[in-house]
Amino acid sequence: MMYELARRGLKAAMNAGADEAEILIIEDHKTSVDIRKDEIEGAKENISQGLGIRAIVNGAVGFASTNIMSHIEDAARSAVRSARVRERDPDWKSLPYASEYPKVSGIMDPELEHMGLDACILQALNMVEGAKEVHGVIVTSGSFSRSAGKRVIMNTNGVEVEECSTGISGFADVITTSGDVSTAYDFAISRSNNIDFTAIGRNAAELARSSQHGISIEPHRTDVILHPFAFADLLGSAFIPSIDADNVQKGRSNLKGRLGEQIATSNLSITDDGLLDGGIETGRSDDEGVPSQRTKVIESGVFRSYLYDTYTAGKDNVKSTGNASRGSYFSTPSVGPRNFIIDHPGTDVIADTDRGIYVNTVIGAHTANSISGDFSVEARNAFTIRDGQIGQPVRSLMISGNIFEMLGRINGAGTDIRKVGGVVTPSIRVPDMSVVG
Amino acid sequence: MYRVDFFDAKIIEGTTTSIVLDNGNIKEVSENYTKGAGVRALSGGSWGYTSVDGDFDLNKAIGAASELAVGMDERSHKEKVEMLDISKPVARNMPRIKVDPRDISLEEKVGLLKEIGSRAKIEGISSTSAVYSESSYKVLYTDSTGIEGEYELIRTGFAISAVASREGMYQAGRESRFGVNGYEIFEKHNAFELAESAAKTALQLLDAKPAKGGTMPVILDPELAGVFAHEAVGHASEADLVLEGSSILENRIGQQIASPLVDIIDDPTLHEYGFFPFDDEGTQSERTVLIKDGVFNSYLHSRETAAKLGGQAGHCRAQGHAKPIVRMSNTYIDNGTSRFEEMLEEIKNGVYLIGSRGGQVNTGEGVFQFNAEKGYLIENGQLTTLVRDVSLSGKTLEILNNVRMVGNDLTLNSGRCGKGGQLVPVTDGSPHLMVSEALVGGA
Repeated sequence: MMYELARRGLKAAMNAGADEAEILIIEDHKTSVDIRKDEIEGAKENISQGLGIRAIVNGAVGFASTNIMSHIEDAARSAVRSARVRERDPDWKSLPYASEYPKVSGIMDPELEHMGLDACILQALNMVEGAKEVHGVIVTSGSFSRSAGKRVIMNTNGVEVEECSTGISGFADVITTSGDVSTAYDFAISRSNNIDFTAIGRNAAELARSSQHGISIEPHRTDVILHPFAFADLLGSAFIPSIDADNVQKGRSNLKGRLGEQIATSNLSITDDGLLDGGIETGRSDDEGVPSQRTKVIESGVFRSYLYDTYTAGKDNVKSTGNASRGSYFSTPSVGPRNFIIDHPGTDVIADTDRGIYVNTVIGAHTANSISGDFSVEARNAFTIRDGQIGQPVRSLMISGNIFEMLGRINGAGTDIRKVGGVVTPSIRVPDMSVVG
Repeated sequence: MYRVDFFDAKIIEGTTTSIVLDNGNIKEVSENYTKGAGVRALSGGSWGYTSVDGDFDLNKAIGAASELAVGMDERSHKEKVEMLDISKPVARNMPRIKVDPRDISLEEKVGLLKEIGSRAKIEGISSTSAVYSESSYKVLYTDSTGIEGEYELIRTGFAISAVASREGMYQAGRESRFGVNGYEIFEKHNAFELAESAAKTALQLLDAKPAKGGTMPVILDPELAGVFAHEAVGHASEADLVLEGSSILENRIGQQIASPLVDIIDDPTLHEYGFFPFDDEGTQSERTVLIKDGVFNSYLHSRETAAKLGGQAGHCRAQGHAKPIVRMSNTYIDNGTSRFEEMLEEIKNGVYLIGSRGGQVNTGEGVFQFNAEKGYLIENGQLTTLVRDVSLSGKTLEILNNVRMVGNDLTLNSGRCGKGGQLVPVTDGSPHLMVSEALVGGA
């Protein structure tokens, strides 16, 4: 059915004068249960669908999208019209060609596909119950969701790839209701039905409780250990944009011309992995039908590769790394990371730290300078570290620095590896960071 | 059909066109045509919600939402939710569109955007980008109490960014203007000048010094002060956050929470980017005073929160056909009487913080962090050294109380506000503000 529709769209685009065309069709069914102030507020069913068409005319790309499947021919003609107002793009090579696709596992769980409303409610309530295990804390808002979806990509160069996947996630925002006001959150996301929802509520509640009565500290430089949430946030905003080939080609990257250079401590390796078993960003292909792969980004501190989609790869005369990413059917592809795996020898990193600050989450990471890598963020749920142990909570703390300098100075990591969306990382220790209380 | 206490539906249909220019070349021309409905149903204290795309059957969607609501209420029964009764809305005070953007050819739009992009490409600028977007949507609302309304709205806008680089250092300047306008937005705003101004900012920042952090007196420019009004005060005034216990403004109505110089208003009737004739649950839009002479006056409400806490509904919005939640519209600190020069004289030494690169706020604890685009040191009442990567953070109520002077030069800025995974068009603004003490973060 989806294939047939896709063929109709491709035909319409070619009839309207396209030289090449591509169709992406997405169908998704999501159920979510929302929590508000310790109670279930309601449930949502989102049944969404849509298609996006790229049409290429004389080396110019046009795009159109719609969520009305019967309008596929109109959308195809609109994509061709969009292409015609552009001049030829000398950097355009072609849409991807047909190829073999790897097998991936752990992204489709039949239990999630058929999960009923009762089970969804139960898991949402488990988060509330988990928080209730800690005295004097409520869940202000939270949500459980499960989804099952299907994606078809087809183009006139023979690409035909179909993929089904499932997802489940939960988050809880909590606040203390007695004593000093303090908040915290926790979340988890997975492709299969293996999340401990009670733990989400409990972890958030324990963190809010232990963050009460924070002390003020004087501005100084010290060791900072960043929880996976905090480190993933900083990487996403301050580092990942610099390995996006599109930014590099446009002179918007600090890593331009630096392949082969030592840019991080030799203990650090980073892999972009579209094949990770059960990964949030795992799939047989990327969002334009290029087979997924593993790409070494940093190998023992040495910078090895940028991330490419087909267009940016064509510009540099290299192969796409399978990093075409589309937020939705109505977006054109752009370069985006897959599962982004941080590897550093792990120890009991807090026990190995005499003095420092432990930071659970940061706010404002998206305000980092994505080109220079400079950031200045507010640390949340931060604690002092004294003689290898978590000490007192710290109230209102700014941490600032530069992500590239940080990568060169990382001198420790925990064993607490977490999947923070696509970023997979342990806690990371950086010495001599500027903290302002 | 399932028996429910209330149901409503928002049906939205329309088109979006966007053109993205990158380094002088067209990167993307796209058209999107969508139609969809979001349906809510209420049974006792439980909400069911269903969204459907494309060619849908509205009765089926109402049935599905009702089934969810009834099912939820049977499984987890709780206090009944009341919905405030409202009167039928009228699509009045609609912005007058002078030039329907759909009457302008795609070629002409592409040509204009290229010209705008080229104005940002001045010496020293390594890359530029520019975006144009327009949308025209028809919105139809109906509910089980007999309320009905519909309107059509056209929004257009553009954004420009320029990056300057030197010796491995990169700095960006940005300008954007979006509104409930037609193609005449290019008459209202001089896009060529704004492109040059974005480029100049990027170049200037190359020579800016990293700022030194600490507690000091500051002057906030209208853009950053507007972000503060929206992020720190506006969000904390949203009644859904108040009800869930995540607002420092809970139980504060009638209390002095700010310097008596401060008035903060949210006004969806203004013909700015956050305009709507009635909100996404059918309530006629109305100006709401959040703070008057420093006294907290009102929360922002939906029909549900207004019924529960008492107040006026009219601030419940949804992105497309998502489930509506309490939102802001056009939020601003009202004009005072001070001139900028007087502020400089009064402050003597401190920092002048300009523009915003975003930020975040924790409404429950009342703390926030915003990054300014740039700043100037103020020494002996004079603007001296340009500084970059400078941020403002602190406690919302402390900043409100520390406002010593309010300017007479209110300016609004358009943007999109995210909450609960939904983005809606808003504006925020303020005149210049002088604050006696704030935490400034540096590099």
